[in-house]
Amino acid sequence: MNVATRTAGSWHRILGSLALAVLLEQLPWAGWALALRPDFVLVGVLFWTLHQPARIGFATAFFFGLLADFQDGAVFGQHAIAYVIGVYLVLFLRLRLLQFDPFRQAVQLFPILLTVQLAVLLVGWLAVNPPASLSILLPVMSSAVLWYLVALFVRLWHGKSLLDQA
Amino acid sequence: MATPGQLMFARRLGPTARLLIWLLIGVSCVVVDVRYHALDGLRSGFSLLLQPVREVLRAPSDVAAELGGFFARHRLLQKERDALLAERARLLVNVNVAKELLRENAELRTLLQLQSRPGQQMVHAAQLYQGHDWFAQRITLDQGGRAGLRSGLPVVDAVGLVGQVTQVYPGSSEVTLVSSRQQLTPVFVERTGQRGLAAGSGQNQLELRYMPAQTDIRPGDRLLTSGIDRVYPAGIPVARVSRVSRSQSSPYLRVECLPLAGLDRSRAVLVLIAEPQVTTR
Repeated sequence: MNVATRTAGSWHRILGSLALAVLLEQLPWAGWALALRPDFVLVGVLFWTLHQPARIGFATAFFFGLLADFQDGAVFGQHAIAYVIGVYLVLFLRLRLLQFDPFRQAVQLFPILLTVQLAVLLVGWLAVNPPASLSILLPVMSSAVLWYLVALFVRLWHGKSLLDQA
Repeated sequence: MATPGQLMFARRLGPTARLLIWLLIGVSCVVVDVRYHALDGLRSGFSLLLQPVREVLRAPSDVAAELGGFFARHRLLQKERDALLAERARLLVNVNVAKELLRENAELRTLLQLQSRPGQQMVHAAQLYQGHDWFAQRITLDQGGRAGLRSGLPVVDAVGLVGQVTQVYPGSSEVTLVSSRQQLTPVFVERTGQRGLAAGSGQNQLELRYMPAQTDIRPGDRLLTSGIDRVYPAGIPVARVSRVSRSQSSPYLRVECLPLAGLDRSRAVLVLIAEPQVTTR
């Protein structure tokens, strides 16, 4: 049984971390930092979906997706659809993901994050116009790295050594 | 696998069913937003929620810029001051000429019984936020409906046209940059007076569309707004032609341009408000 499931699941922590993610995205990012900015909110939502599926799920993902749409001045629903797909994939692979250490988890998350970003790309393509470039795929990398850092942090926080497999 | 308190038999919908329901809601959101523009209220709600946060979070970078400015070298400041003084002297001469021309123009217009050109009011605004530029390049300004902004107003910086206000909230507004895809700007070539249509092509570039193959245009030509759309005032610099190429398959030239305004750099911009609407407010 995963450590995080037992101890780290209070509403305070969930809402606090998601609020922090939203705040981080409101910083005046620009240039390369903007292109490489990990999707903090998506990582937060997927992380809590993995560890607290009873509390965080489709509805939360949809709401934060609408928020992301507002941020990018995109069509409402574009990120919402993608985030919901991400939540579904995490729920589908949940028991498998929970068995891995942070690094392997991040590697497994990479295709999920890629699918989410491709969904954003596809919906935008169908609803608005072709994207300007493929830089839309850059945040997948940084989000996966962010996932690794977050998972590592949580594991260290709860006093488990890296080598100790759950 | 089963944790205490978890039901052994599912009583709620499975994940696949819930996914389908949310996807349906999402698709209807897209349709409602694209076709009917019915979700502007939600946008305003988000903007009210996030604007104070953004203003607070802009502070750290402002403080950093202030500190950087504080430690600017004395020599650098002197050099800049000298340059500014020289430019000011040059501009003052221009202003005198312009005043003279303005008077003359007004007289001629009354003689010809033409309508006088509308005056302009300017609103200073600063960039508040920038989203990803995957599908449309937009920036958010810290001035909105309260400062008299409307949808459709032109936005300029010190060098040239930045874009057009496309979405107005009470305290902030969204500007679509000239380089954004599908953003059209009527322009003319400064050297020849040839009129054309500049369209954003994304990636911080524009292209001049529908220029017949024999058009006299070459790299380095400046494009100014032509003003025939009655949205932009005439004569605002927009872009500089960077490459002209001829294709076998198309009867038109392929003209690539780079925007003159610092679209990704300038933080302070001006929103131009035509006077007549302002006086009737």
